[in-house]
Amino acid sequence: MHALIIAWHTLLAFFPPDLSPSYLRYVWLPVTQTVGMASAGMVVALCLGIPLAIYVGTRAPGWQGIVGMLSALRAIPDLTLAILAVVVVGLGPAAGMAALAVFYTAMVGKVFAELFLAAPQAPLESLRATGAPRLAVALFGLIPLTLADLLTFGSYSFECAMRASVIVGAVGGGGIGTELVGAVNGLDYPRATTLIVILALLVTSVDTLGWFMRKHPRIALVLFPMGVATMLLNPPQVFVLRHALATFAGMFPPLLSTKALAALPALLWETLEIAVGGTALALLLAIPLALGAARNVVHTAITAVVRRVLDVSRAVPEIVWGLILVVMAGIGPLAGALALGIHSAGVLGKLFAEAFENVDTAPVRALEATGAGRLPIVAFGIFPLAIGPIAVHTMFRLEWNVRAATVVGMIGAGGIGEALYNAQQHMHYQQMMAYIAATWLLVILADVAGERVRRRLGWNYVAT
Amino acid sequence: MLSVVDLTVRYTNQAAPALQGICLNVAGGERVAVVGPSGGGKTTLFRAVNGSVPVQGGYVALEGERVGEARGVELRALRRRIAVIAQMHDLVDRLDVYQNVMAGALGRWSSLHALRFLLRPSGAELVEARTALERVGIPEKLRSRTSDLSGGQRQRVAIARALVQRPAVLLADEPVASLDPARSEQILALLCDLARERGLALICSLHQPELALRYFDRIVGLRHGRMVFDRPVAKIEPEHLVFAS
Repeated sequence: MHALIIAWHTLLAFFPPDLSPSYLRYVWLPVTQTVGMASAGMVVALCLGIPLAIYVGTRAPGWQGIVGMLSALRAIPDLTLAILAVVVVGLGPAAGMAALAVFYTAMVGKVFAELFLAAPQAPLESLRATGAPRLAVALFGLIPLTLADLLTFGSYSFECAMRASVIVGAVGGGGIGTELVGAVNGLDYPRATTLIVILALLVTSVDTLGWFMRKHPRIALVLFPMGVATMLLNPPQVFVLRHALATFAGMFPPLLSTKALAALPALLWETLEIAVGGTALALLLAIPLALGAARNVVHTAITAVVRRVLDVSRAVPEIVWGLILVVMAGIGPLAGALALGIHSAGVLGKLFAEAFENVDTAPVRALEATGAGRLPIVAFGIFPLAIGPIAVHTMFRLEWNVRAATVVGMIGAGGIGEALYNAQQHMHYQQMMAYIAATWLLVILADVAGERVRRRLGWNYVAT
Repeated sequence: MLSVVDLTVRYTNQAAPALQGICLNVAGGERVAVVGPSGGGKTTLFRAVNGSVPVQGGYVALEGERVGEARGVELRALRRRIAVIAQMHDLVDRLDVYQNVMAGALGRWSSLHALRFLLRPSGAELVEARTALERVGIPEKLRSRTSDLSGGQRQRVAIARALVQRPAVLLADEPVASLDPARSEQILALLCDLARERGLALICSLHQPELALRYFDRIVGLRHGRMVFDRPVAKIEPEHLVFAS
């Protein structure tokens, strides 16, 4: 009870937001940095990822090795990469850009490569038969054959990069994320609220922008000048290549003290608890919210309100919920699980609502014809009919949350991320590298386990 | 029992009315077959009788109460007395058979009762479900998964659900459309027996005129949304049935 009262008073301290003109003028720079970092990350990712994907797609010698490398790289969470980048290139937007560039090169490279490999082979064979070199086969065959999918995925990954650009700032990668952590640590909660509102607006407007990009792909060309300008304006502050390489080399071999090694299993277990607890909480919240957001269950006046609630909880990333909750619920895994739970409730709530709205109408109509009321129709029809997609989405979210649980710790919300961040702060780089390796293994294991379960149950992912 | 008077239904996106000037009276225990080409208005007629589509002219009345004017609770009370058996696609696959059967009782149960039943069905409710399944000939399927049933068994479960509803009118929309001839006859015989023994007004749409002649008292022909004929089986001439097949 006492803890709840403290939490309530802490929450009140976040209001009203600081909307003074001087502060709004001040945050303009970090906001442009965040947008620029996402653009720069994508520019690099496209310039490096597409050639790699073409190399794989034309099945050039050693292409399997490149696929393996890209998959391995992709298993390192973006925030973990940002921690590493801060050490190598120093605090600020340069570190954020470096982390985003590596992460999205792996993502774009891997997914584009998969699209290329799945392209129809007959037209490519006939191109090769003319004696065309690889690049020509790609330009005249692979890319035109898969263009629609490339554009869809490209704009989707820009949306993801935008969200990631906010959160890499939280560990010193520059932009609005760094401002937010500064405001929270400085107990300047009204400004933190302002930043969270800006962030939520930014993320939602990127959703709309992504939609526009899919319709008019040419808009994406704006990325290049924006990205290049951000790179020129934000070079690493003090960057000596030899020093950076020496620092990086100093992280090897990864090493844990006996004491830290003994604590590692408990740390990994705590990370899994955060992931499972967060997913369970999300499931519990998402089902009633989704019913309130499904237009075939309740009146659209209610769905409109519930959908806004879902939008807000989804627009604020786990890390940012974590920042607020650490203030309210204290440092530790509870804050981490709550943060994952609230963000995932927004994601799952939207997906479940779609599942409810897409159920087969014939059985539902048959129930209506018996004279049943709304609630029994949900219990006997709509819910059981949607249980398949609900299970698939929850499973995918659990996988995602293992990844997220490894990083929420970096802002004090428990698990391996906290240990990783502390190691970095104390410049124990060999120890830090050991934690990164453990994180990497955990994420890969979660992906493999999820893949197995899905194959065993015969679940196919319903693309969202 | 059921009277349809000068009924006209027009869908907003179509120029021609789906039903125009339909008049039909069906007494308790009477068995009426509706025949006609696809798109002739059979399904629309059923949906209008059940109050599932808005009516532009005329009305449908069950024992003097008008279906079209009822809203909310009143409409639900009327629907409870008009059971619908669609083709076999209207069961919820994820539920067990007894749950689908007892869904027929949802019109008279409170929401709380319905939720309690899903979690923990009472002995009396299971007996009611079993009795209904016995009447349709598949009592052994009480606790099976609905998705494991064959087409004929699904149709029987849908009929059992209609029995649990304790209706006054039974509407069956193409109940044998996807069944082989032997099963079709079994299902029609079952529906007709039920209408007789419980005094239900049975209205059934069919593609096969020869089945309509064998099992029903009256045949109604629908084409382009209009009633072409409405005659007792004894007065049906071969030319009446030519257009139906």
